[in-house]
Amino acid sequence: MQERSAVTCQFEGSSEIGVFSCLTNTYCLVASGGSENFYSVFEAELADHIPVVRVSVSGTRIVGRMVAGNKNGLVLPDSVTDQEMQHMANSLPDTVRIVRCSDRLTALGNCIACNDYVALIHPDISKESEEVVADVLGVETIRHSIAGEPLVGTYSVFTNQGGIVHPECSIEDQDELSSLLQVPLVAGTVNRGSGLVGTGVVANDWSAFCGLDTTGMELEVIQSVLKLGSSQPSNILGEMRASIIESLAN
Amino acid sequence: MVVYNFRKIRVVPISKDFIDVGLSKTQRKTPTVVHKGYAIGRIRSFYMRKVKYTQQTFYDKLAQILEDFPNIAEMHPFYSDLLNVLYDKDHFKLALGQLAKAKTQINTIARDYLRLLKYGDSLYRCKQLKRAALGRMCTLMKRHNSSLAYLEQVRQHMSRLPSIDPSTRTLLIAGFPNVGKSSFINRVTRADLDVQPYAFTTKSLFVGHMDYKYLRWQVIDTPGILDKMLEDRNTIEMQSITALAHLRACVLFFIDPSETCGFTMAEQIKLFKSLVPLFVNKPVVLVANKTDLGWEAELGEEHKQAINDLVVDSETGSRDNESGRVADLFLKMSAQDEIGVMEVRNKACELLLKDRVESKVRNKKTQSVLGRLHVATPATVRQPHIPQSVLEQRAKMAEQNESMRDEEEDEDRTEAEDTPIRKLEKDVQWEYGGPGVYSSDWRKQYTLKDEDWRYDVIPEIVDGKNISDFVDPEIETKLEELEKEEEAREATVEMLVEDDHDLPDLDEEQMAKVKAIKEKKLMMKAKTVREKVKNRPTVSHAQRGKLQELSGKDLRSHLEDIGMDEEEVDEVSKNVLEAAGSRKRGRDEAEIPEELLLEEITRQRLDPSELQEGTRGTSGLQSSARRAEARAMKRKSQKIFKKTAKKGEGDRSIPTKKPKHLYSGKTGRGGTDRR
Repeated sequence: MQERSAVTCQFEGSSEIGVFSCLTNTYCLVASGGSENFYSVFEAELADHIPVVRVSVSGTRIVGRMVAGNKNGLVLPDSVTDQEMQHMANSLPDTVRIVRCSDRLTALGNCIACNDYVALIHPDISKESEEVVADVLGVETIRHSIAGEPLVGTYSVFTNQGGIVHPECSIEDQDELSSLLQVPLVAGTVNRGSGLVGTGVVANDWSAFCGLDTTGMELEVIQSVLKLGSSQPSNILGEMRASIIESLAN
Repeated sequence: MVVYNFRKIRVVPISKDFIDVGLSKTQRKTPTVVHKGYAIGRIRSFYMRKVKYTQQTFYDKLAQILEDFPNIAEMHPFYSDLLNVLYDKDHFKLALGQLAKAKTQINTIARDYLRLLKYGDSLYRCKQLKRAALGRMCTLMKRHNSSLAYLEQVRQHMSRLPSIDPSTRTLLIAGFPNVGKSSFINRVTRADLDVQPYAFTTKSLFVGHMDYKYLRWQVIDTPGILDKMLEDRNTIEMQSITALAHLRACVLFFIDPSETCGFTMAEQIKLFKSLVPLFVNKPVVLVANKTDLGWEAELGEEHKQAINDLVVDSETGSRDNESGRVADLFLKMSAQDEIGVMEVRNKACELLLKDRVESKVRNKKTQSVLGRLHVATPATVRQPHIPQSVLEQRAKMAEQNESMRDEEEDEDRTEAEDTPIRKLEKDVQWEYGGPGVYSSDWRKQYTLKDEDWRYDVIPEIVDGKNISDFVDPEIETKLEELEKEEEAREATVEMLVEDDHDLPDLDEEQMAKVKAIKEKKLMMKAKTVREKVKNRPTVSHAQRGKLQELSGKDLRSHLEDIGMDEEEVDEVSKNVLEAAGSRKRGRDEAEIPEELLLEEITRQRLDPSELQEGTRGTSGLQSSARRAEARAMKRKSQKIFKKTAKKGEGDRSIPTKKPKHLYSGKTGRGGTDRR
């Protein structure tokens, strides 16, 4: 029996699972759909270790794009309702701080990418919001863009162990980001060539979930860079190199 | 990249169908009625349209056929050669060329006859010209019947060709008939080819697909090849040769050292050598099949040597086309017993992958993907945050794997014992009616101080505020303090009361007085209300002067003139005069007995609307006779509505929207509106 490390799933036919879920090291937020199938995928993997909570944010199901969180806290947009906040406060561990952030940019999941130590934030986020993020999540904040795109949460995903950035991110950018974040990074795709890695993958330090369209090779790259199972980032340069060249170059 | 999909070619009709379709379409889509009495211009254009339409239909159909069939010269060399082998390139080109020519000829015919039609001087002549034009077009198409029939056959065959991608990763299996090529492809892919113990079971190319190293590979099975001169080879063999010649694949050359295929080792080696020119720039693996027949022990020394001579020296790695030393590897396997099959597959794939990657890395285009082949590694690493339970589970799993490796037969039991299967929300959902019916419990996992609080129904939010906004943590102590204060105050009040006796209780006399005072108050209040109330006719200052002028006699005579009786005249004139002089009225009103006033006050309190209604009904009417008259008129006016059971003028309901009598009978073009 081999340890299953990255799981592929779908939310009501959509492979953009990062839109409908948010995973951190101490909790997991999942949008509630018409059936419990999506929730149960997360429940089966995580419920023994961390709470897996069904939530809505301002009445929408796009929770993954609306919130930003790590093991210390959860930042919610201004539009979130009191009931929703109360529900989260009741469901999440007491160590997690839940705070509203009144910023012009409300899709915080798209504008903030973070692990437990650092957060990349959208260059246009206000000073106050930046302070809120730094304080609540207990992170160092860095205003940065990925391959010239300010939506850092959409085009990157990283944990304490490693991360994936948009495939068009140049080697120099990758090195710079990597030295800022202090985690190994690769440029990769999900969901059969999609560059929107933030919406295709949700991951924490010991598990990852990918869209159902993700190919075997994409999955292997993700597992390797996030150090899931027995994979290590060096695999990408080692045994997978030939396959990557072969599949990408024509 | 060009995708070869021959299934999209549309059916080619035989000439009879072609003509039928064209002519009937003309008949359907153009006008059919013409009279000789029409102006000649109209007649001419009628027939010209027919000719033009037929030409267009034929032309379009021919153009579509020519468009659908691929241009052999522009295809990948593999496909152009394969089509040449299967259908004879010349024949194919000739057929298409004839149709192309027919296309232009149809245009010429149409042009000629249209020119003639311009000078047609009667309906009859125009019709004959049209007939001739259409007839010539049809004859032309009839002449090309054979081309059309041939193309239809080709189309049918092409649509059944395997969809081989000439540029992708390919393993190509070749060798003498009956050496186990199809057995191998059946083992590594799900192609499920027919395997029979006679030669040429496989008569055309077959393709199967498999996965290796996250990539998709295409495996092509070819018909067996005999050792002949190229010119002598038949169509079946030529397909194999075409594939070998044009596909950039890893060639798996199968030999059967057991010689059960009916060919000696010498022949097989000779065939390999004769195919060497086709192996240039391709990885080649020499595969000796059927080890299950035990040929390894019996194989003669000279054959061993011959095989070794075909394999490239692993140290120098140099190929020698002269002596046929081109095989990169020599492997043994048994497709029958599935021994070594995967090794052959993996080795072959590795060889091809290495070859392809090397050439790609040299290519400039690959530079664009180099960003994807870079792992940016920082100097230091972050400490991951993995919960203890996860680490424990991992350790347990690793332990299980260990034990499982030791005793494989206990696999199922240990797993079932150690990991109780968690009941998922999905399972619960299905237990309670499935999706759409089951409504999940969001509060189930609330972590609260007291578990009983989970399902509390008290609304937590009031006016956008949480209840916790109103909770004072020191409320208990504050309440206690307040109570103490209250107690102290009560004690002092009691002491005061003891001092002061006459405050609370009154005797009967005093009570009556109090009551009287209260009533008086009430009355005074009511009086001011009456005085202030505006619900009575008011007279302006200007009017007042005039009225006073009118005084007694003018007013009285006027009132008598309009027919009031004397009593009423007295009353009205008095009222008017009073209204004119306000001082008097105040005194008069004060004369209203108090009991009546009180009664009125209570009545008003009971039903103020009744009072109003009374005045509204009678005000503005001069005498009781007039009032009676008005009542009678009202009754009369309501008569109609009562008869038709309507509420009044506003009741506009129409019981039947479309009464039968208005809609039946002959109304012609609707000129009459009987309503």
